[in-house]
Amino acid sequence: MKNLRVMIVDDSTFSTAVLRKMLEKDGLEVVATALNMKDAIEKAKEIKPDLITMDMTLPDGNGIECSRELLKYVKETKIIAVSSMMDEEIIEKAKNAGIKAYLQKPVDSDGLKAAIEKLFAGEELYQILQDNYEEAFKESVFTFLKSEIGGEVELENYQLKYKGVRKSSGVSVAVGMIGRHKGRLIIDMSSNTALNMVKKILQDESQTLEEAIQFLSEFTNVIAGNACSLLNGLNRSFGLRVSPPTVIVGEDITISIGDMDSKSFMIKTDLGEAFMNIGVQKGDESWI
Amino acid sequence: MDLKNINPFIDAVTEILPQFGFQSLIQKGFSEKSKKIIASGVVITLGIVGDKKGNVVYCINQEGAKQIASIMMMGMPVEELDDMAQSALSELSNMLTANACINFSKEAVNVDISVPTLLFGENIELNLNKEEIICVEFDVDGIKMEICVALV
Repeated sequence: MKNLRVMIVDDSTFSTAVLRKMLEKDGLEVVATALNMKDAIEKAKEIKPDLITMDMTLPDGNGIECSRELLKYVKETKIIAVSSMMDEEIIEKAKNAGIKAYLQKPVDSDGLKAAIEKLFAGEELYQILQDNYEEAFKESVFTFLKSEIGGEVELENYQLKYKGVRKSSGVSVAVGMIGRHKGRLIIDMSSNTALNMVKKILQDESQTLEEAIQFLSEFTNVIAGNACSLLNGLNRSFGLRVSPPTVIVGEDITISIGDMDSKSFMIKTDLGEAFMNIGVQKGDESWI
Repeated sequence: MDLKNINPFIDAVTEILPQFGFQSLIQKGFSEKSKKIIASGVVITLGIVGDKKGNVVYCINQEGAKQIASIMMMGMPVEELDDMAQSALSELSNMLTANACINFSKEAVNVDISVPTLLFGENIELNLNKEEIICVEFDVDGIKMEICVALV
């Protein structure tokens, strides 16, 4: 919550003073105040605050209109409506305009603090996910391969040759991770590598491609499951769960990694190489 | 054939596609598959978890995918399936699946969806490892779109 930069939009200097006092008491920095819509838009564009408290009645417009306009310029800023009026119709309009929470005046200090904490908890959590997902997956894949196939296991950072796409080596698996934020794991290897691995693990040379596909599906599922458990252990609020794997087989398939925040690795083992991509994406904030 | 898992997706298509300006939307027949789907063109798959667990797969041929991307991008010509077109199609699959989730929740079934994974190529074999995959085909302004749902 600390270091959040706030702008107060309210046509009443009294309300502005009350809100400022509450926000500053909680350690937030009030970087601007605006008494009308025009002023609010100009200041927000320039200052790009993290949070805006928005009154619903403004001399040159209303809070809904003002929020909608503001969010065109400051997409990352979160807006909390603070108004004496509150009914279902206006709440619905506020939601549609992109406002994240609605508080009724007179606002009590605890209520305001709780709303802000809830609103920004997702941000902090996403930061934790971004800082830790790479390690969690590397650890998960390393532990599995070391114990199941043994030998040398190395993970090297890998740069995709073409931006955002990967040409499949033959067999790929995609597993989704779903929780407060989202993610996806892709593992891709040649059918030969998959076959080598399943033969080694089961100590059975008669394994077929069909069985190798089953192995790869389960392998990816375990990697994702273990990594998600590690992450959930860091913070229970992640609530990450793994969706069933989809195995993709074919000679000429391109996988689109998309524009999510992701990292790619080449997993090197004695039995062959495998490509791994892990991506994370911020989950939607629900209405508070 | 039990259609209760696919109906929320049909309703999603009927609700979402016209909003993008698609003119004609004809629902064709259902089909049943087991474990595997083979498709060529563009395939988008999303994971589903919650009260039901599984996957949904959207299949469109390459030309159809470009046309859909073009309509979604306000008629901008789409010569090849570039980043922008891929992103538009992923977003469409996201919207359709999210809408289907809302439809599920009306029946007190709560599910969440993963980010979409988009693939393209020829003879793509998808193993969903579910005995029963229910598919429905749509004709969207002359473009064939198939939705396959494997949910338990």
